[in-house]
Amino acid sequence: MIPWAHGRRALSPAEERDTAPAMCFCRTMRSPVVGASIGTGLALLISVIAAMLWSREAITQQSSDPEVSLAAWDRVVTVLQHPRCSNCHQPSEPLQGESGRRHSPRVIRGRDNQGVPGMRCGSCHSAQGNNEASRVPGATDWKMPPRSMSWARLSIGQLCRSLKDPAKNGRRSLKGIVKHMQDDSLVHWSWDPGGTRESVPMPHHVFVEFVEEWVRSGAHCPS
Amino acid sequence: MKLTVNGQEHDLGGIDPDMPVLWVLRDKLNLTGTKYGCGRAQCGACTVHVNGEAIRSCSVSARHAAGKKIVTIEAVSGRVADAVRSAWQRLDVVQCGYCQSGQIMTAISLLSSIRKPTDADIDAAMDGNICRCGTYGRIRKAIHEAARSLAERPPS
Repeated sequence: MIPWAHGRRALSPAEERDTAPAMCFCRTMRSPVVGASIGTGLALLISVIAAMLWSREAITQQSSDPEVSLAAWDRVVTVLQHPRCSNCHQPSEPLQGESGRRHSPRVIRGRDNQGVPGMRCGSCHSAQGNNEASRVPGATDWKMPPRSMSWARLSIGQLCRSLKDPAKNGRRSLKGIVKHMQDDSLVHWSWDPGGTRESVPMPHHVFVEFVEEWVRSGAHCPS
Repeated sequence: MKLTVNGQEHDLGGIDPDMPVLWVLRDKLNLTGTKYGCGRAQCGACTVHVNGEAIRSCSVSARHAAGKKIVTIEAVSGRVADAVRSAWQRLDVVQCGYCQSGQIMTAISLLSSIRKPTDADIDAAMDGNICRCGTYGRIRKAIHEAARSLAERPPS
């Protein structure tokens, strides 16, 4: 007798063929109650997976702790508001120096964020790095960030919300923000600006840890 | 260390690879049309073309220019260069002449990308080329004049 056979009596050979696993499954599925239960379970499973895929925060956030998050943000924002970052996160013209003076010579963003014909960012800023002879800073892919990433005249709360907004931050998730802070060549330049320019005072790996902590604890923003 | 300048490859032997291209051109290759004005990429007098782009040669080292095509004022050529040269002559733009090499190289770069530049385009492109003699008005007119002549004589 086949163990999964239904009923009490022994099955005929024809009945045994019918109760092979596939057939048994099909027969089981034909049961309205069982079928509905399995269907509901599958739908629930698909919903959970979809929610996890769509919500990256579900992957990166482990808890929501506003106090920890805001404390981490207070450290992160000191870097974002440092001249090495804020000088380029401007609406139309980059700034220079520690006082945020107007860029000299005058340059403008241009359509591709890399200047205009005759005065491209690369006309002076070398992709190979800082030029110690002319004291002009340089790094790979020297350019302004998109206009949507301007942080000019933003409060720390507004800056936080702008940073998190995919419509403004280059469609980055919170995980993408961490990666940008970790890997981007122009971010790294801020820690090796050359000449007499002040480097960001916090070690880069410490900064990234604060960004990660901010994200992990819910990426809260001050009001 | 080899550099390709004005279509010719030059073997520069054991020069310091961090030597600015400006000094390679002037001191090693005797191409003195490109001028030293500030050494800080502020004045534009040292502008040359590297791979077709206007670059300040005081701010690029020889090692970073290796493998690229450098063109100086001595050899810049083509329709745009001819139009700029003619306009500069017709309008008698030059006074002392010191900045003009850089002015012309930047103007050629501008007109190579924008055939009918507006005054705003000219301001944005040329603002970094300083002229102590104050020939800015004539430079602007000459760029417009060059644009007109390029429009009147399309490429054959």
